[in-house]
Amino acid sequence: MITNRKKVGTVLGFVALTAAILTVAFWFRLANQVAIPEDRTLFVVAFLGAAGLGVAALIVGPRWFGGIPAILAIAIGGFLTFTVEISPQQVADNPIRVGDIIPVFTALDDQGDRFRSADLAGAPVLIKFFRAHW
Amino acid sequence: MQVLTISTDKPEVIRKKRGVHRLQARMLSDRDLVVTDAFGLRNQLVHSGPLDDEVEALPVPTTLLVSSDGQVLWIDQSENYQRRSGPEVVLAALQSHLDTPE
Repeated sequence: MITNRKKVGTVLGFVALTAAILTVAFWFRLANQVAIPEDRTLFVVAFLGAAGLGVAALIVGPRWFGGIPAILAIAIGGFLTFTVEISPQQVADNPIRVGDIIPVFTALDDQGDRFRSADLAGAPVLIKFFRAHW
Repeated sequence: MQVLTISTDKPEVIRKKRGVHRLQARMLSDRDLVVTDAFGLRNQLVHSGPLDDEVEALPVPTTLLVSSDGQVLWIDQSENYQRRSGPEVVLAALQSHLDTPE
């Protein structure tokens, strides 16, 4: 009986990790295509489902090599859910708006040369603020 | 038309990584967020991204189309960092605001 139980727990652990990895793989594929949907409920359900399976595996009691994937599934599912929860962004009280004239600014470019916004005059420009290279 | 990018990355990091964009853009480094703050684009909520020691915050991902006389014609902003507008949205804006988009 105990052996069977451990088998079930171990299998559950691997199922949980597989579910977590598949969901994450799909998530990053959409992220690369800039296509993460606005409504991410299904993703959260999948992430929490994978984590839940991991918890179930631990409750059933897997062998040690089933426990590791169970814990990984909980970590991955929990972390991705967390990132969805903290993803909203908000600018300061008085951000630039359509119709405004852009502020005068200067900054170093990637070659170490100084760029001045005055250089922009006379031609339209697309300015892109992004978070960082990671 | 010119494309400018602004991030908190160090110039050498931008130099190293710029190949991933395959983009002919002037890429600026805004370590102290002076430019970000001048535009009022500093994120006020959780950044949920690793900040290095010298960087206090991150901008909210934002794209601005600016006319030749410096006026903002169009803004696209991600109220959620996990979401961005695709290139088709930017191209459509260029087409509707400029006579001869490149």
